[in-house]
Amino acid sequence: MSPSSGATTLRARLVPRYSAWSLVRARLATSGYWRPLWTGAQLKDAYDVIVVGAGGHGLATAFHLARDHGIKRIAVLDRSLVGYGNVGRNTTIVRSNYLLPQNHYFYEDSLRRWETLSRDLNYNVMYSSRGVCETINSDDEMAAAARRGNAMRLAGIDAELLDREGLRRFAPEIDLHHRRRFPIVGGLLQRRGGTVRHDAVAWGYARAATALGVDIIENCEVTGVRAAAGVATGVETTRGYVRADRIVFAVAGHTGAIGTMLGVELPIETHLLQAAVTEPIKPLVNCVLIYFAEHSEIYVAQSDRGSLVFGGLLDGFPSYTREGQWGRLEDVAQTLVELLPQTAGLKVLRHWAGTNDQTMDGSPIMDRLVYDNVFLNGGWCFGGFKAIPASGAHFATFVATGTPPDLIRNYRLSRFQMGHMLDERGGGPFPVRV
Amino acid sequence: MTQLACPFCGPRELEEFLFHKTLPSPDATPFADAYLRANHRDVSAEHWQHVRGCRAWLEVTRNPSTDKVLEVKLIGPVRA
Repeated sequence: MSPSSGATTLRARLVPRYSAWSLVRARLATSGYWRPLWTGAQLKDAYDVIVVGAGGHGLATAFHLARDHGIKRIAVLDRSLVGYGNVGRNTTIVRSNYLLPQNHYFYEDSLRRWETLSRDLNYNVMYSSRGVCETINSDDEMAAAARRGNAMRLAGIDAELLDREGLRRFAPEIDLHHRRRFPIVGGLLQRRGGTVRHDAVAWGYARAATALGVDIIENCEVTGVRAAAGVATGVETTRGYVRADRIVFAVAGHTGAIGTMLGVELPIETHLLQAAVTEPIKPLVNCVLIYFAEHSEIYVAQSDRGSLVFGGLLDGFPSYTREGQWGRLEDVAQTLVELLPQTAGLKVLRHWAGTNDQTMDGSPIMDRLVYDNVFLNGGWCFGGFKAIPASGAHFATFVATGTPPDLIRNYRLSRFQMGHMLDERGGGPFPVRV
Repeated sequence: MTQLACPFCGPRELEEFLFHKTLPSPDATPFADAYLRANHRDVSAEHWQHVRGCRAWLEVTRNPSTDKVLEVKLIGPVRA
C-alpha cells in the first residue's frame, strides 16, 4: 500500500515479513536471520512530519501517515527509548464500554482495530478477547449500568447485563457469598473486551513503521519549537535543530510540558497512576474484572505468565515523581482482596507509577495547538492504551489532510469553552477524586 | 510525601486530605480559573482540604517534581 521508493524497499528488506515460511527459514539459517526490529535510522535535517514521542500513539500515527497517506519523510523522536513510557506501564486492558456516543463510537472503532491488528502489523500483539466485566454493587448501580449497556447496544456494541446468577456463571472466581462491605449484585459484561500485550504493540508499530521508511530516533529529546510568521518551522532537540512541515506531539503523561514549551495553559493535570503485579499463580481470573467499591476501585487481569496485573485510582494530586503513594497501593491491594479473598496471601512482585494526563472532563484532546501545523494528541486519562489503533489512524488523517475525521472531531480543545465537555463521570472540571 | 501537617491537627496521613486544585494566576479569567491548569514542574500553591479530619481548607506549597511540601497554612480568617 505504501508508495515504493528506494529507501522503502531497502528498509523493507531489513524488516522481513513474518510467516510460517519465515520461521522455517530462520531455523535453517546458520546465523543472522533475526535482526533488530527498528534501528540504524540517522536524524536528517528536515522532515515532512516529526512525531514527538515513540509510544503507542506516536508510533501508530507515524505508521498510518506512511501507510495510508503516503507521506515519505517522517521521523519519530523520543527522549528515551521506544515503548519506555506509558505504553509499557499500563494494565493492557482494551474495551469500549463508554456511555457517551462521542466516546463509545471512537473506542469501538479502536476495539475493532485491535481485533485485526496482529494481521495489519504482521506482528502478534496477543489480543485476547477474554471479556471485561464490571461488577455492580447496588440497585442504583444496576440502573446506571443498564443505561450504559443500553446506550452501547443502541450503537451496535456488545454489552450484557448480568444478575448475580449470570455473574456467578461467567466469573466463578468471585465468591458471591463472601461478606463484603459492598456486596456484588451483578455485572456489566463486554465479551469482546480483553487484554493486549502492551510492549508488543509498541514493538509491532515500530517495526511496521520502520518497514515503511519512518526514521525512529531514540535518545533525542525535543526541547523547543521554532516558529516564524505564525508557522512552526521545526523543533530544537538535544541533537540540534530539525526542520519540519508538521509537528505532532504524542507525549502521554508529559503533555503539560508541551503547554509550558508553547506558553499555553491546557485543561490538563498530571497525576500518578499505579499498577502492580503479583507472583505467578495457576489460572484463576478468566476475564478482566473491574470492581468499584465507593471509595476505591480495582481492575485486575491475569497475564499469560500467571501474574495478576492490577491497578486502581489515581494517587490524588499532581506529581511528576513516578513514585506511587504507599497509601494508594495499600488501598488498591485491599480492594483486590475484598473482591477476590483467595488472593490475600499473594506477594506483590513489582509496582510502578506512571505520569498520566488527566483532562478536566476525563476525555482526550486531539487538536491543533497554537500553530496551524502543530498537532497535539494527549490527555488520555484512563483510556490511552485501548485507544492506540483508532487514535493512530484518525489522527494521521487529521495531520495529513488538515481536517479531523468525525470520530475525533469531538476531542477538540475548544469544547471546554463551548460547553461541549465529554464528562463521562459527571464529575465537573476535576480529575477523579476520592 | 506520606503526611501533611494540618495547622489544627498536626501531622496526619495523606489519606485524610483531599487535593482540590492548583491555584490559578491572580489575573486568570473565570474560564481559565475553572478549566485550565499551569501544570508545571515547579513549586506551586494548591488548595487542599482536611476532609477526613477537621475539614479545614488549606493552602499547601509543594514541589510536584519531588512531592516535597514547603508550607501548609490555613485559608482565610480564623475565629478565635
